[in-house]
Amino acid sequence: MAAGSPSVSVQAPTQPAAGRRPLFQREPVLGWLLLSPVLLVMLVLVVWPMLTAIWIAFTDKSIGRDATFVGLANFTQVVSSPRFLRAIQQSLVFTVVAIVLKFALGMAMALVLNRAFFGRNVLRAYFLVPWILPGFVAYMMWRWFLDPLQGVLNYALTDLGLISFPLEFLSSPKMALPSVIVAHVWRSFPFFGVAFLAGLQNIPSEQYEAAAVDGANGWQKFLYITIPGLRHVILVVLMLATIWTFNAFEPIYLLTGGGPADATMVYTVLAYEMGIVNMRLGEASAVPVLILPILGLFIVALSGVMSRDE
Amino acid sequence: MSSSRAISRPAGSPLGRITNAVPAALVVVLLTAFVSLPLYSMVVTAFKTDKEIYDDFSYIPRQPTLIQFQRVIVGERFFVNIQNSLIVATTATVVAISMSVLAAFAVVRLRFRGRVWVARLILFKYLLPTTLIYIPLFLVVNGLGLANTLQSLIFTYLSFSIPFATWLLMGYFRGIPAELEEQAMIDGCSRIGAMIRVLLPLAAPGVVAASIFTFTGAWNEFLLALVFINRPALQTVPVKLSGMIVGDQYVWGAIMAGAILASLPVVLLYFLAQRFVVAGLAAGAVKG
Repeated sequence: MAAGSPSVSVQAPTQPAAGRRPLFQREPVLGWLLLSPVLLVMLVLVVWPMLTAIWIAFTDKSIGRDATFVGLANFTQVVSSPRFLRAIQQSLVFTVVAIVLKFALGMAMALVLNRAFFGRNVLRAYFLVPWILPGFVAYMMWRWFLDPLQGVLNYALTDLGLISFPLEFLSSPKMALPSVIVAHVWRSFPFFGVAFLAGLQNIPSEQYEAAAVDGANGWQKFLYITIPGLRHVILVVLMLATIWTFNAFEPIYLLTGGGPADATMVYTVLAYEMGIVNMRLGEASAVPVLILPILGLFIVALSGVMSRDE
Repeated sequence: MSSSRAISRPAGSPLGRITNAVPAALVVVLLTAFVSLPLYSMVVTAFKTDKEIYDDFSYIPRQPTLIQFQRVIVGERFFVNIQNSLIVATTATVVAISMSVLAAFAVVRLRFRGRVWVARLILFKYLLPTTLIYIPLFLVVNGLGLANTLQSLIFTYLSFSIPFATWLLMGYFRGIPAELEEQAMIDGCSRIGAMIRVLLPLAAPGVVAASIFTFTGAWNEFLLALVFINRPALQTVPVKLSGMIVGDQYVWGAIMAGAILASLPVVLLYFLAQRFVVAGLAAGAVKG
């Protein structure tokens, strides 16, 4: 430090009294100023589109043509369409079955990876691979893996003597939905696993020791210590997964496109078909306008739970 | 990090230890097989000749070859799509992270009315799936005359990357004591100066994690890229690859090679920065 300037560190902080601060240093002004880019983006990319969608849903808008007001015609059209009702039903089946399986596999993954054994850290990283891979890669990989003629799975099952003719995993109406669900579970169970594993590490081991002293068996420990200890993580993960799974598009679009004969048609793929393929934007916009209020309430509830964490 | 907390450590007899370990080992084996089989199928296919893929099946390539990589790179001009994806993902990340840092700082550190509602709004948007807003977004993109441009993707990707990055950074900033910045301000820093010189260096792991997630999200995004772009020269990697599945054409070798190429940046980023990513996730996404 230069010897000639002894007064440098003595300078008093030059903060003016709160009321007389320069405009940009007042917290509300600075706060809104810093938020403005994000708020502007959200306005243009969320609020404006949503309002547009609501307006369009009441018109006969199609790509390249102007819109005319048609009242509730799109909504009655969509709600009374058997295809739409079936798609909603299949979206629900897809969601419920996939979440149950993800939960089971994720819990199994968390419980075994929470034990000490040789190679555990490698497995922890390895089990995350399906979740780290891009979704489109995962689903295209599964489409090929399940290929009826040259897919590895059919070769392996035949060579093991389990089947005598190739299975049409994705092209038979009976097997298509279960196959899509399995591929989706493969891709997303690690998320459950990591979340549960993080939660397990927050359960004090004393609780297990005390239970052991009291003679509890493994199942009782799981039921009365592990599950209650994970209550909060389970709630958040299940709600997040419900939103994500119900609105999944990639697995179905990339594996089957909704077929065969609508056997895997879920509402997201149907909306895509109505709006983008058939260019009937008015009708397609009615779908999010119908779904959003229900899902919106759900999201508000979840954001309440997640905000409480802070 | 966590090994000290291992649960269900078998107490007692060796017999108990074995009966406890057998089901666990079985679960490990089954899960490993489940995770590995499709991955194995992708990797071996990418290194086989067409003959071994379609006529003369073998579990292990008899003559491992790079011909499928050559087909996707040269024949399908895959690097054009990789370049598109890189431009979109990098730009979206830089823009989203810059905006998110400012917003997260404002919400976490500054006191003003409405900040709680802003935080709620950001979280709400983070949870709102793109599937519900892509048709409206499509109308906006058309209205702005951005259809069939990479800008349309960069711009609309902000709709999911900003809320996520802001939410993640908010969690991270909260974990850093405000006293350090107050100290810097007493020493003469401005609020913004304290943020740049004190908060950001300390929050660097969180910023890295948020950047990686944002980049990955943009790199992987499929639906908007499918809807907004139909000029082949402007397609990003996911749309290009999925567009290669046409009827009964024999392209699966090239598709699997392309899938491996498409995964490399994301997997590499993740493993290079795994520490930051896990820390960032713990701070921001799922608490509890």
